[in-house]
Amino acid sequence: MLKGHLDAIVLAALEAGPAHGYAIIEAIRQRSAGTFDLPEGTVYPALHRLEQASLLSSAWTTPPNGRRRRVYSITRAGSAALGERRKAWGRFSQAVDTALEGGRA
Amino acid sequence: MNGAIDDYVANLRGELDFDPALARRLASEVEDHLREAAEADPAWPSPEAERRAVERFGLGREIAAGFAVDAVDRQARRTWITLAVTVVVTFVAMRLRVIWLDDDVLALAPLIDRYAFIAALAVGVIAWFAFRRSLAALAICLVGLLASIGAGIVRADLFANGAPIHVLLSAAGEIALLGVLSFHVIGLGRRLRRTALLRSGAP
Repeated sequence: MLKGHLDAIVLAALEAGPAHGYAIIEAIRQRSAGTFDLPEGTVYPALHRLEQASLLSSAWTTPPNGRRRRVYSITRAGSAALGERRKAWGRFSQAVDTALEGGRA
Repeated sequence: MNGAIDDYVANLRGELDFDPALARRLASEVEDHLREAAEADPAWPSPEAERRAVERFGLGREIAAGFAVDAVDRQARRTWITLAVTVVVTFVAMRLRVIWLDDDVLALAPLIDRYAFIAALAVGVIAWFAFRRSLAALAICLVGLLASIGAGIVRADLFANGAPIHVLLSAAGEIALLGVLSFHVIGLGRRLRRTALLRSGAP
């Protein structure tokens, strides 16, 4: 179920600022309080897909510790797409809540 | 002796052989990720820390399969765009030949030129709506266009018949596009086969 929403979760993780792959997966783990404990590599196909769709951009950087890293940033189109996905998710989750709660009334 | 990270990265590069540029880019990115993860492990520095970092990353084959699915989608999009352009150019070239020539419509070459094109167009339109990832449908379109263009060249005897420059140029355009389309269809076939292998777990 998570797979269909991974792109939006990655976009949301980058909303706070640019990050590299390891930091993104750590952010997802922390934001979900460990619920989304994905194999770490699964984030890379999503990053590549989002970059191809121009929802993310990336660049190699060399931080002070000397290791070269590819850092991803959300683009304006990515922010807009995230907003749309949040709205769609809000409608969907509300409908599921209503359907699940309906049996208790 | 190579560590677990070196072995993993080498294996991942092999799994991504359908896209060498992506394999190169991802190798250094994944290596950076794994070294950072290993350094964050309480057992660092040790082979155990590297092994755990690799385990948490997931199977290289599954990660490569994630990329392969996207590669199929991109290749299919490129192939469809090329097919659409080829159909338009072939149609224009065919009309230019018809205007230039005044041949017997019952002869074989004009019939193949026309009906192979119509068949390719019909299969392409149906496949666009129903089977966008169908290699067979794209191959049928390719063969139809190949037959149409080949028959058109035979029909006009272009290179011996003193054809006007616009007819020659349009024929050259359709031949070039047919080459590009063939290249994309073969590429799509390779990516579909690789994706199926990665998903099935076969070597």
